[in-house]
Amino acid sequence: MAELSDGARRALAVLEDRLDERTAAYLNACVRCGLCADSCHVFLATGDPETIPAKKAERVARLYRRYHTLLGRIAPRFAGAEEVSDEALGALATAAFGRCTVCGRCALHCSVGLDPAAILRFARLVAQAAGKVPKGIQANIDLARSTGNNMGITREDVIETVSWLEEDLRDTTGDASIQLPIDRAGARVYYVLNPRELKFFPLSISAAGMIFHAAGESWTLSSTDFDLTNYGMFAADEVAAREFTGRIVRRAEELGVEELVVAECGHGFRSLRWEAPEWLGRRLPFRVTSFVELMARYLAEGRLPLDPSRNSARVTLHDPCNLVRHGGVIEEQRTVLRAAALDFVEMTPNRLDNYCCGGGGGLLAASEHAAARLEAGRPKADQIRATGAKVVAAPCHNCIDQLGEVNRHYKLGVEVRTIAEIVADALRTGGPG
Amino acid sequence: MTSPTLSSLVLAVALLASAVAFAVIRLRLGRPLPAPFAEPRGSAAAGERWALTAAFLPWNKESARHHAPSYAAGLLLHAAVAAMLARLLWSLTGRALPRPVELALAVVLATGLACGLALFAKRALDPALRGLSVPEDYAANLLVGTALAAGLAACLDPRALPAFQWIGAVLALYAPLGKLRHMVFLVTSRRFWGRFFGRRGVKPAPHLPGEARHG
Repeated sequence: MAELSDGARRALAVLEDRLDERTAAYLNACVRCGLCADSCHVFLATGDPETIPAKKAERVARLYRRYHTLLGRIAPRFAGAEEVSDEALGALATAAFGRCTVCGRCALHCSVGLDPAAILRFARLVAQAAGKVPKGIQANIDLARSTGNNMGITREDVIETVSWLEEDLRDTTGDASIQLPIDRAGARVYYVLNPRELKFFPLSISAAGMIFHAAGESWTLSSTDFDLTNYGMFAADEVAAREFTGRIVRRAEELGVEELVVAECGHGFRSLRWEAPEWLGRRLPFRVTSFVELMARYLAEGRLPLDPSRNSARVTLHDPCNLVRHGGVIEEQRTVLRAAALDFVEMTPNRLDNYCCGGGGGLLAASEHAAARLEAGRPKADQIRATGAKVVAAPCHNCIDQLGEVNRHYKLGVEVRTIAEIVADALRTGGPG
Repeated sequence: MTSPTLSSLVLAVALLASAVAFAVIRLRLGRPLPAPFAEPRGSAAAGERWALTAAFLPWNKESARHHAPSYAAGLLLHAAVAAMLARLLWSLTGRALPRPVELALAVVLATGLACGLALFAKRALDPALRGLSVPEDYAANLLVGTALAAGLAACLDPRALPAFQWIGAVLALYAPLGKLRHMVFLVTSRRFWGRFFGRRGVKPAPHLPGEARHG
C-alpha cells in the first residue's frame, strides 16, 4: 500500500468510523442497474455516463467495499473496490461537489429504493475530511465563522440597510405605521434572512415587511444572527453546520420567540427545520417554519387580503429541492400563488418530480464548476420555456441566483421572483401595484 | 420420509451460515442512527409502509415508467429468484411437490432465467451500463442464472435435485459476500428510505386529482 497523504488518512478514518447504518444499507443495496440515469438533471443535460447517480455514488461505494467487505479486501478488482488515494478522492470530490447538487430526485425514482443523494452526502463528508471542499464553499464557511454571516455584513450595515428599507417602504406605501423591527425581544416571530437579500435583493425584505404588517404579526429581525444560510451543510462539515444553526437557535431563545421563520431559502429551511435539532442533539423550544408556510397560514386565517389581478402575467413555480423533496413543503407555495396571481401554471414535471435548477448543493458558490452548473440548468430552462410563463416564482434565493443565470444564458426572457414579492404586489393594502 | 442426502445437509449448513453472515453484517453495518429530534411533519411508519408496498408500483417510479422493459425484466427475475429459493427450502423437507406445481414453477424459473440473461446482455452491450458495472455484476448474474437453470432442471426432472442443492449451497454462501447482499439490504434500505421521507411528509405525497405531476 502506498504512503497515504494526511488528507487521504483523514478520509480513510471517516470511511471507517463515520458511516451510519442507513448510508451503509444504501451502499449495499445498489445493484448498478443504471435506471436512475434520467432522473438526474445533470445526466439529462450532459448525457455523460459519469453523471449517472449510481456512477457518482460508485466513487464512494468503491472505497466502502475496499474497507468494509470481505470480497473487496480479498479480490478488489473483481468486486470493484478501490483503495483510498489522492486520485480516487479527487474524482470523488468532483462527482460529489461538481456533478451532483444532492437534490434527491434520483432517490424518489431509484428502482431499488435507496437514496443516492444520501450516499453523495457521505461522499462529501469523505471529501471534506480530505480537504477537497470547493474553494468557494469553504470561503463562505470561513467568512461565516469569522464574521457571523457568509457575506461579512456588519451589524451597522444591517441596521442602516433595514432603516433605509423601512423609510422607503413608508414612502412607497404611504403607511407610516409599517415597521421593520430589529432585535425586538418578546416578538412572536424571529425572521432570518439570506445575506444576499441585504446586499442584492432588499426588496424581498420589504416584501416580507409588508406581509407581516398586513397580517398584523409581531416579528423581529436580528442585527447579528440573521444569516440562515449554512454552507457547513453543503460541505458536510458538521462542526461548522452546528455552529451556524446554533447561533440562530441561541438568538431565538434570547429573544424568546415562539416561531423561527426562515425566509425563502431551501437549504436554510432544511438546515434549521430538519437538521439543526439533530446537530444540536435536542428538540428546539420553538416552531421552525418556512415563510412560504407562514404566508399560507395567514391566507387560511384570512389575514392576507390579496388581489390577484395585480399579478396578471403568467407565473410558474420552481420547486427548490431542499424545501420540497427534503423539506416536505409541497402545497403551501401553490396555495399562495393561486391566491396572489391570476394565471398560475405548473411546470411539467412538478412538485417532488421537479428538476433542480442546477445550482443547488452549494454548486453556485463553487466557481470551478460554473460551466457544468450552467449546462446542468438546461432541463430547468426547457421546463420554464414550455410553460410560456413571464414570471418564475422561486422560494429560494440560491435558486433565484441560478435561475437568473439560466434565464440569461438560455434567453428565456422571464423575471425570477420570490413568492413574497409576488404576494406583496397583490396586497390590497399598500401594495405598489 | 427418506434420510437426508449429503447435498441436503450441505445446503442446510450453507443456508444457516448465510443467515449468520447476514446477521453479522447487519449488526456491524454502521453507526446506529439516533432517534430524531426534529418534529415530524408526516409519518415515518406511513413512509415505511409506502416504501415496502406502493413504491414498487411502476406508476410511482419514473425510472420504471421510462424503462418499462428493464423494470419488468427485473421484477420477473426477482420473482423467479424468490420462487427458486422457496423451492430450494422445500427441497430440505425431502418431499416432492405435486407435478402441476413443479410445472408452474418451471415456467416462472424459465421466465426469470430469460429475463436474467436479457439483463446480462443489456449490461454487457449498453456502453453506459457497461461503464457502471464491475466484474462481480456479471458473475453474480451468472451465478443466479445457473441456480435458476438448475432449479428449472430439478422441476422438470427430480434427478437434477442434488445438483440444484449443491448450486444453491454455493449461492447461499456467496450471497453475503458481494452484490447479492441486496437481497437482504433492499428491504433494510427501503425501510430507512421510507422512514426518512415519511417523517418529512414527502412520501406518501398528498394526491391531488386532476394535476399532472410527471413528465
